[in-house]
Amino acid sequence: MRAVQSQVPGRGPLPVVGEADLDGKFVVTVMELSGEDGLLGCIQCGTCTGSCQLSSWMDYTPRRIVDMVRKGLAREVLASRAIWYCASCYYCTVRCPRGIKLTEVLYALKSLALARGYAEPGAPAPAFYRTFFEVVGRYGRLYEPGLMIGVALRSGFGRLFRLAPLGLGMLRRGKMALLPERVRAVDEVRALMERVSRGLVRR
Amino acid sequence: MSEVRIAVYVCHCGTNIADKVDVAGVREFARRLPGVEVARDYQYMCADPGQELLRSDIRERGINRVVVASCSPRMHEATFRQVLESAGLNGYLFEMANIREHCSWVTEESELATHKARALVAAAVKRVRFHAPLEERYVEVNQKALVVGGGIAGIEAALKIARAGKKVWLVERGPSIGGKMAGLDKTFPTLDCSACILTPKMVEAAQHPKITLLSYSEVEGVDGYVGNFQVTVRRKARYVREEDCTGCGTCYQKCPKKVPSEFDGGLSHRKAIYVPFPQAVPNVPVIDRSNCIRFQTGRCGACEKFCPRDAVDFEQEDEFLTLEVGAVIVATGYETFQPQEAPQWGWGRYENVLTARQLERLVNASGPTGGKVLLRRDGEFTDEVPKSVAVLHCIGSRDENYYPYCSRLCCMASLKLAHLIREKTGAQVYSFYIDIRSAGKGYEEFYTRVQAEGIQFIRGKGAEVLERDGQLYVHAEDTLLGAYREVPVDMVVLSTAVTPAPGAERVAQIFGIQRGQDGFFLESHPKLEPLKTATEGIYIVGCCQGPKDIPDSVAQGAGGAAEVLSLLTAGRVQISPVVAEIDAEACSGCKVCVPLCPYSAIKYDEERGACGVNEALCKGCGTCVASCPSGALSCRHFTDEQIYAQIEEVSSL
Repeated sequence: MRAVQSQVPGRGPLPVVGEADLDGKFVVTVMELSGEDGLLGCIQCGTCTGSCQLSSWMDYTPRRIVDMVRKGLAREVLASRAIWYCASCYYCTVRCPRGIKLTEVLYALKSLALARGYAEPGAPAPAFYRTFFEVVGRYGRLYEPGLMIGVALRSGFGRLFRLAPLGLGMLRRGKMALLPERVRAVDEVRALMERVSRGLVRR
Repeated sequence: MSEVRIAVYVCHCGTNIADKVDVAGVREFARRLPGVEVARDYQYMCADPGQELLRSDIRERGINRVVVASCSPRMHEATFRQVLESAGLNGYLFEMANIREHCSWVTEESELATHKARALVAAAVKRVRFHAPLEERYVEVNQKALVVGGGIAGIEAALKIARAGKKVWLVERGPSIGGKMAGLDKTFPTLDCSACILTPKMVEAAQHPKITLLSYSEVEGVDGYVGNFQVTVRRKARYVREEDCTGCGTCYQKCPKKVPSEFDGGLSHRKAIYVPFPQAVPNVPVIDRSNCIRFQTGRCGACEKFCPRDAVDFEQEDEFLTLEVGAVIVATGYETFQPQEAPQWGWGRYENVLTARQLERLVNASGPTGGKVLLRRDGEFTDEVPKSVAVLHCIGSRDENYYPYCSRLCCMASLKLAHLIREKTGAQVYSFYIDIRSAGKGYEEFYTRVQAEGIQFIRGKGAEVLERDGQLYVHAEDTLLGAYREVPVDMVVLSTAVTPAPGAERVAQIFGIQRGQDGFFLESHPKLEPLKTATEGIYIVGCCQGPKDIPDSVAQGAGGAAEVLSLLTAGRVQISPVVAEIDAEACSGCKVCVPLCPYSAIKYDEERGACGVNEALCKGCGTCVASCPSGALSCRHFTDEQIYAQIEEVSSL
């Protein structure tokens, strides 16, 4: 567990949160972007963490992320590893006793982390999301080899070689095309994606 | 009609109204309305000085109509009517304009709120002009009472009424009274034995000369009104004659058919002819027809052959009784959440995952294991004692996927079970909680005691229970550590939510009780009238109104008895004069209104060739008035003239 980064002059080494470091508007931003307006009603029961297959890999538990968002620890949340480990299994959303759609909140946090430049350049998950967006923007649909090469260019080729047998298998079974296909109305898809991105930046 | 002289009072209600509505402006506006003699605004019209204003204006300025613009008539209409009466004016020459609930509380902008207040006041002023004096009527109150539900709340209510010398019928749906409390082992926070404190009350209820116990019976319908109810009760066939049976138990020893016991939560078996538990009152068995071999195949009949008193009677049929009572207490109790709806906690899948109610039976000396906490394997209890047990709080409670409210008693019940398990087995007990709610006398002290006994408290809701290699694990976040945990345990106890009783909807329909969003019965005021309902003379006590522990249920039972006794002792009850009336000359005798009346208050009179209204039954709902094709029906205090005047005015501003 990582301590919250902050110092208060004249205080000791425990993680003391400086009041000036808290971004009171952060929770509003996250609620608007995610469409989940119930964050303030979280009772911190930890059902999300207890149901999450990946919480043990995270630096902050999902429950703690919610509280950090509410309290305005924007930098710590956006720079955290936790938000990128969500595999979108939706168990937390299904089980949350307050009906909070936590998966949507984590998506919003990922978008904010990218938009505000918090994501580490070589980190695999941000690289994947970015490349996915670009590939779909270009072809109007997914093109797997393009996606994998793009991710490799961003986060290193080691991963690509490890996944090669899987890729070959998919090719053999006709699950993956060697050459990209473009959808007919690619312009419309692009316009849609641009509007989404603009909305994100404006917020 | 003599000259109409109207007084208008605009209430500030502290800041409740005055913060949004320009009360002085509304007052000035009212002053200029036709017929208005006096217009005032005042801080609190319902307080003594406010009432005095009204009285002195009536006396000194010859006022004969009054409008108060304040809160809802539900709140203070009766108050102001009494003020009018005390000043010698008929209480019905009064109209209330609701500028709080309907206006200041729900309007954002001050200007719009003031505009609406003006419209409501103008409408009330126009309407009150057409009001006529009406006389209150009184009816006699029948001196008997009915209590529905024989749990601890119902028993307490019945005993209190009976001890005051009034006749009580106590109707219980199941074969025995005792309710949920009969299934508990110890009770928090004092740990006295539940049966030891309950059984004497059950016996007293059955033997009290003023109480007639109708067990295995259900209320089928209610007619009448406060003071004079006619209640139809179905006495379900027991197939055992109560008057002949001595409760010797031969029948259920001889019965060959085993059925999972409802009372033990399916952890043991009963027979097809059975008493639900040894201390049952009455101690008379009942035959569960759907499981009886004799009823299903025509053979067997062992119980009948062996009964030394010839009390078994397969020919018995349901009987119907009509009871005449003055008041009714509904104490139909609750159910607990059945966690098979929620597979994540493993109940029904893993046999050592139990509900709290099942565990109550395990720790109880008369339960399926004789009071031992034992593990199960392949559907049978072993001799093995669990070395570790997890108690999961809030299963189904505080959860929007199931029941959003806090079930209130389960924190304490969970603490009690944690204590009993620890005491009986020495097991490591983990308590997975969100918040410990121990508000109650001696409750926090009990929590402290259980903490000191070494129970491991983990602040985090048990998210799921999974079995791996024959070992149960509770997955949860230890939120105070900020750590994910998978705790291996031998047994899991689910503290399940308190839910409305099955059939609550039907009970509500029969007695004219409203239900809240959560399905529990709705009291007529959440603070000041917790036992009354929307139907006068019908009271609710105990868990049918919402989750309650034993002390609260007992207190409510006694409170319900006090409500009934004050009604019965008064001897007569005031009936509203706001009822429908029929102009017999105009009535064509078409009888359209007769079947429409929800209170069966209208009868057709052959001789006169016209319909007539029974004023004691009529509630003034107006259904008949709207249906009458010849305009012969009208409702007092809601005449066409009055309503049109009000509508016209409210829509003209």
